[in-house]
Amino acid sequence: MKNVLAASTALALLSVPAFATETSDVLTNYANIAHAKYADSLATARALNTAIDALIAHPSEDTLSAAKAAWVDARVPYQQTEVYRFGNAIVDDWEGKVNAWPLDEGLIDYVSTSYGGPTDENELAALNVIANPSFTLSGKSIDAAHITPELLAETLHEADGVEANVATGYHAIEFLLWGQDLNGHGEGAGNRAATDFATGDACTNGHCDRRAEYLKAATELLISDLEWITAQWADDGAARETALADEKIGLSAILTGMGSLSYGEQAGERMRLGLMLNDPEEEHDCFSDNTHNSHYYDGKGIQNVYLGSYTRIDGTEISGASLSDLVKAQNADLDAEMRGKLDTTMQALGAIKTAAEGGFAYDQMLERGNEKGEALIMGGVNGLVDQTRSIERVVTVLGLEGVGIEGSDSLDNPSAVFE
Amino acid sequence: MRHLITLLFLATPIAVSANVVETAIDTHILPRFAQLSDTSDTLASAAMDDCTITNPQLRTTYGQAFDAWISASHLRFGPSETDGRAFALAFWPDARGKTPKALSALIATRDPIAQSADAYDEVSISARGFYALEYLLFDDNVTKDADPEYLCTLVQTITADIAQTAHDIEQDWRDNYIDVLTSAGPGNLRYQSSDEATQEVYKALLTGLQFTADTRLGRPLGSFDRPRPKRAEARRSMRSLHHVMLSLQSLRALTAILATDAPHIANNLDVFYATALDVAQTLDEPVFAGVADPSARLKIEILQQAIQRIHEETTLQLGPVLGVAVGFNALDGD
Repeated sequence: MKNVLAASTALALLSVPAFATETSDVLTNYANIAHAKYADSLATARALNTAIDALIAHPSEDTLSAAKAAWVDARVPYQQTEVYRFGNAIVDDWEGKVNAWPLDEGLIDYVSTSYGGPTDENELAALNVIANPSFTLSGKSIDAAHITPELLAETLHEADGVEANVATGYHAIEFLLWGQDLNGHGEGAGNRAATDFATGDACTNGHCDRRAEYLKAATELLISDLEWITAQWADDGAARETALADEKIGLSAILTGMGSLSYGEQAGERMRLGLMLNDPEEEHDCFSDNTHNSHYYDGKGIQNVYLGSYTRIDGTEISGASLSDLVKAQNADLDAEMRGKLDTTMQALGAIKTAAEGGFAYDQMLERGNEKGEALIMGGVNGLVDQTRSIERVVTVLGLEGVGIEGSDSLDNPSAVFE
Repeated sequence: MRHLITLLFLATPIAVSANVVETAIDTHILPRFAQLSDTSDTLASAAMDDCTITNPQLRTTYGQAFDAWISASHLRFGPSETDGRAFALAFWPDARGKTPKALSALIATRDPIAQSADAYDEVSISARGFYALEYLLFDDNVTKDADPEYLCTLVQTITADIAQTAHDIEQDWRDNYIDVLTSAGPGNLRYQSSDEATQEVYKALLTGLQFTADTRLGRPLGSFDRPRPKRAEARRSMRSLHHVMLSLQSLRALTAILATDAPHIANNLDVFYATALDVAQTLDEPVFAGVADPSARLKIEILQQAIQRIHEETTLQLGPVLGVAVGFNALDGD
């Protein structure tokens, strides 16, 4: 392995001439932005926790609305971190704890009869842990008398090896705040009443104390998970050190994150497939109808990583040497093309956001035969697909073919995987 | 080996004759989509003649058209991506069981959208194409309470919709995409250089290998502790292993074309295909039911490893010759 490292480093030195922009500065700025985004995600999650404490202490429509608003705010910085996933193994191995989706929500709480029961794919799809202080899981009896962060993280999350058993993270919290969206393609999000968290006779749908306990445990877990990942990007953090260890691999990590999120994940899995399935459940934030924001801030994250500039939740800007600067020095036309395409995508995702904020919800856009909705979503998909082609050109211009990144199939040299 | 640092390619790309892409179009891509159109027409005609789901002619022609699709299923760019045509032919894997749900909903409500193939292209992809038709022909749970007349219409409409989609892909290639792919260079908005055109075809090859290894085999394999035989592709029609073999044969042919200018590498890679196909041929596992049995499972894993080896050797040997990057594909992401 040492020889390989040496060859790689030598070649990197040979093929990366000295520019005004130093690759190491680009990577440092990339890590700084990651740290700021996760720190913002943590701060907004703590605000969510405060709002949830208030909801549990005094359940009312007001405290529930405030908690929902805090959740929506918490998504803004977090979605902008998703561009760090596919290029950074530390992030990719971790992110399923906080942002796994889609989920079989019947695992967690009561659901409507139309939801159905256990499925071929998931025997626990309707487990309802909130209503059941003990149950059997893969032949083992589980004591769930107390719903703790440990129970959620270690026993329930991805139980039975099924990814749809999402017991933790933003979407579990989202479900507990909003409830199922039973409006199909019609207007409205999930409509859980605040009395689902009430005490005594005021409690609706049963087990309100356990529901509150679950909500609190999931939120505490979200905070501790965000604390952990924020530390990984701090000065001596492992994610930062990995990103800075090798210039070529660091640049590849940035581009792998941008390309994999743009194409396979967002344009493909999250947007186009959902549209072609015409299924209102096929939206990323299906309980809250916040999908337009999820898509928008995912796109924004891709753009601000390329431009090397992120505006924090308090309005301050983290900015420095960028991938854009590096590309510009090699091929100014390609840099202009890349920036133009990122802009086009953001306009298209912005159009979806504006339409949704104006009352045309994302699940309505997905309806069979809804041409306006299809045009809006396909605008975003086309932008993301098109920008991926430019990302591939950037890979070529920077001489990064064949640079392997763990945790992604793209840009990956599989030989290393099988060794 | 947590942290992967892979060898940079030191080999200098040899001049790839521009006609590699043209040869791929003429001898690989167009014949496959023509075959898909022809067999889909025959399937649609068989359904018009007799839509009974047990009609042997219907099942035979279904198998032939599905074969044609699988042999072309790695060519997911350009015309097959436009308007989501490949998804309309083939929505699989279906991790949340959307296909039986969507078909049951159509059948339960006798949704009039099934009256015409033209209108049917608005329907969810989970109720269109070869995998939806498989449920109608081979899954009694979905069809047992269906009104026979409605079921007949649905079979005729889905087969006609498949034929229409197949023709749309073929026509789009002939009228449009041959030009797009062969006029690569400055001024071509899609492919700015001939390398980008070569990369597109190369990506199709690698994505096909990855899909067959990771999805066609990887999904039923699951993990040792939790094998997932019910996730095998097209298990209701007993086609799971057959698809792996069809796909390997097609990818082998495409590899030979891409490696035309490097006969030594062409030979090397062909040996890996022969090995994988040998393993597949001796496997008595039409639907990979053996994933749950340790000794049978091992043989299925060996097949998967043989295909992963082809993928590995392709990127190591063929990639440098073509001088193009792996790029991004639809399987990136979760």
